[in-house]
Amino acid sequence: MKRTLFNLFALLIVLSLALTACGGKATPAPTEAPVVVPATEAPVPATEAPVVVVEKTITIGFTASQTGAQEVSSKRQVNGFNLWMNQVNEAGGLTLSDGTVVKFAAQSYDDESTKERVQELYTRLITEDNADFLISPYSSGLTAAAAVIAEQNGKLMITTGAADDDTYKQGYTGVFQLYTPGSLYFTSTVDMLKTLDPAAKIAIVNESDKFSTAVVGGLKPYAEAAGFEIVLEEAYASDTADFGPIINKIVDSGATVVLGGGHYPDGSTFARQLYERKVGIQFIGILVAPPDSKFSELGDAALGVTGPSQWEGKATHTEEEANALGIEWFGPSGAEFSAAFEAAYGDKPTYHAAGGYAAGLLLEKAIRNADSVDSEAVKAALDAMNLFTFYGGIKFDTSAEAHGLQIGHSMVVIQWQKNDAGELVREVIWPADVATKPAIFPIVVP
Amino acid sequence: MRNLQKYIGIILPLLVVAALMLYPTITGKAAARETAFTILKAIALASSLNILLGYTGYVSFGHIVFFGFGGYVGFYLLSSQGMSLWVSILAGGFSSGLLAFLLGKAILRLRGAYFALATIGVNEAMRAFINNFDLFGGPTGITLNFKAYLAYGGAAKALEMAFYVVGGLAILAILMSYIIRTSKFGLGLLAIRENEDAAEVMGVFAPDAKTWAYVLSAIIPGMIGVLFFFKNGNVEPHDAFPLHASIELLVMVMLGGQGTVLGPILGAFAYQGMRGYLVTSDFFKDIQLSVSGALLLIIVLFIPAGAVGWLRQRFPILRRVLA
Repeated sequence: MKRTLFNLFALLIVLSLALTACGGKATPAPTEAPVVVPATEAPVPATEAPVVVVEKTITIGFTASQTGAQEVSSKRQVNGFNLWMNQVNEAGGLTLSDGTVVKFAAQSYDDESTKERVQELYTRLITEDNADFLISPYSSGLTAAAAVIAEQNGKLMITTGAADDDTYKQGYTGVFQLYTPGSLYFTSTVDMLKTLDPAAKIAIVNESDKFSTAVVGGLKPYAEAAGFEIVLEEAYASDTADFGPIINKIVDSGATVVLGGGHYPDGSTFARQLYERKVGIQFIGILVAPPDSKFSELGDAALGVTGPSQWEGKATHTEEEANALGIEWFGPSGAEFSAAFEAAYGDKPTYHAAGGYAAGLLLEKAIRNADSVDSEAVKAALDAMNLFTFYGGIKFDTSAEAHGLQIGHSMVVIQWQKNDAGELVREVIWPADVATKPAIFPIVVP
Repeated sequence: MRNLQKYIGIILPLLVVAALMLYPTITGKAAARETAFTILKAIALASSLNILLGYTGYVSFGHIVFFGFGGYVGFYLLSSQGMSLWVSILAGGFSSGLLAFLLGKAILRLRGAYFALATIGVNEAMRAFINNFDLFGGPTGITLNFKAYLAYGGAAKALEMAFYVVGGLAILAILMSYIIRTSKFGLGLLAIRENEDAAEVMGVFAPDAKTWAYVLSAIIPGMIGVLFFFKNGNVEPHDAFPLHASIELLVMVMLGGQGTVLGPILGAFAYQGMRGYLVTSDFFKDIQLSVSGALLLIIVLFIPAGAVGWLRQRFPILRRVLA
């Protein structure tokens, strides 16, 4: 029995080695299947030859964080992207002027929220899976590693969920950012605070990582220029679970406003512990976590917490807004997107989901404008793009110093409030012209 | 023939590495090169750890600190001071060795679980230090401008070059491991592993021997760190000092067989090969972590001596071949 077991497990090792050696799987190369269709739906003379339509499947490659710290946001982003892809394919794909029908297929792998294999997986996506275009992983750090591979292989990469400014200042020419850059995340919040309490004392408490540090790097000078006093600057480790000592420092500093956070796990924990300690903070602004619908699971601890959001269903951008600005409109309305997302996934879309959808929409529009799926043509179309969608404005910096940096998109501020039925709901509280509710200020902790 | 028999213990490991280095060239696939890079990196790190863990029996849960620290020093010199990759790699190795020397003098006085706990503390302390060290970019880390690759023939050439350099470093780590294993110094380390007090009675000066073993086990990880961050184009504290990577290295060494030259190579190959296959397999990719965890548990439960240890026990004739 023991011998059999040993043999079995020795066999397991050998098998794993063998599988690695021949691990390559069938490659979904771009397909160009000629499809014979009638030239027109109207009756045609029997002698007219049928038109040959070439159907081309474009592979879009990306890694997703199915496990690890970025799992929640990454999954929402992928859901948004898949919704766009399914909608385009179900509508028959894109038809180019030469009659080619372009359809899309996705290929993705789990990056486990770490950089360990990001470059390996993106190389595989490009060279083995023959991905024609790339979407970034979720988070700035993973995107920075993936961008090297994309640029090296001359592949276009639309980044979504990667707000750090730094990546776009490294000389890349084929990396395009969809999100508002990190350094601008809290500018709307500071603008709002000026109207709520110009004498507020701000404590900046942020996760000690690339993205959050970039955000507070933009926040501090902006808040000081607006006349606010920064009474505390504190960074915490990504895996912090006990914010007690930091909350003590906040109390000691005399802060009335707390701005900061980082990603979902730490941001939601920080908000809950701030509530439990009942320290009398009048305004809380946290990154990433509050715009997620899951944040309402905190119950009363979520009440009054605000956060900057790339997009909100309640203050979605409209065609009228685009017309007023004289910018081209493209894609579905915010209501159409929300309804489709809810029907597909049974959940209201967050800005991560909207970002995933918008990444696909952006690529679709660039292909349409280029009338080609050639990388250079699509890149030129992206460089020239000045677009408005339900997600907001999209325009890229084309200078050599910051090529691909997003310069057309602006953010809103949301706050968790209670509706008439006593349920927690996300309301848009800034900018004033799109606000759905006035801000709760100061927060009343029961 | 006698010479072949004498050196078969090193020839076999080198053949494995050579095959890995040739595999992408033969297939001409960049993806194969990337997979082989991950495996070669793991081989170099696991073989280095084996010098401490396998030969002296000291379990280091924070060995990745040398990868991170050396990598940071070298990458800083490369990206911020404009030094060449070669000088940066040497500086990374030297700084890691120096750190190990200083640490060794302090924490190698501890034994067993106390030493293991101290190594975790060192890793976390170093991460916290780098996180607050502005010269190294603090929490945002350091990013390499894409133009820096031009000095190496462009990004494509630079990444290809990085692959051959990691192969060279893996060979260096194996040679170092073999030379130590077959030297008088290595015999002293093995004596420490069996019984430190008895070894001292027999004339082995354990504190020095352990410290030098620690230093030698730290140099290659520091060099690998520089190369890995150069290839990635950036470094952040949490990428440089991931505690789970230290634990993975321990698993690789134990899986293959600690205290042998070939063991860590087989362990790294099997572990990273399995992870690489599962993460890209259409069937397993959604449950890859669970499957790899279960497989490892089963293997460790039934082959506690590692693959090489088990083979040596089962087939005595292989004891001459499997060093």
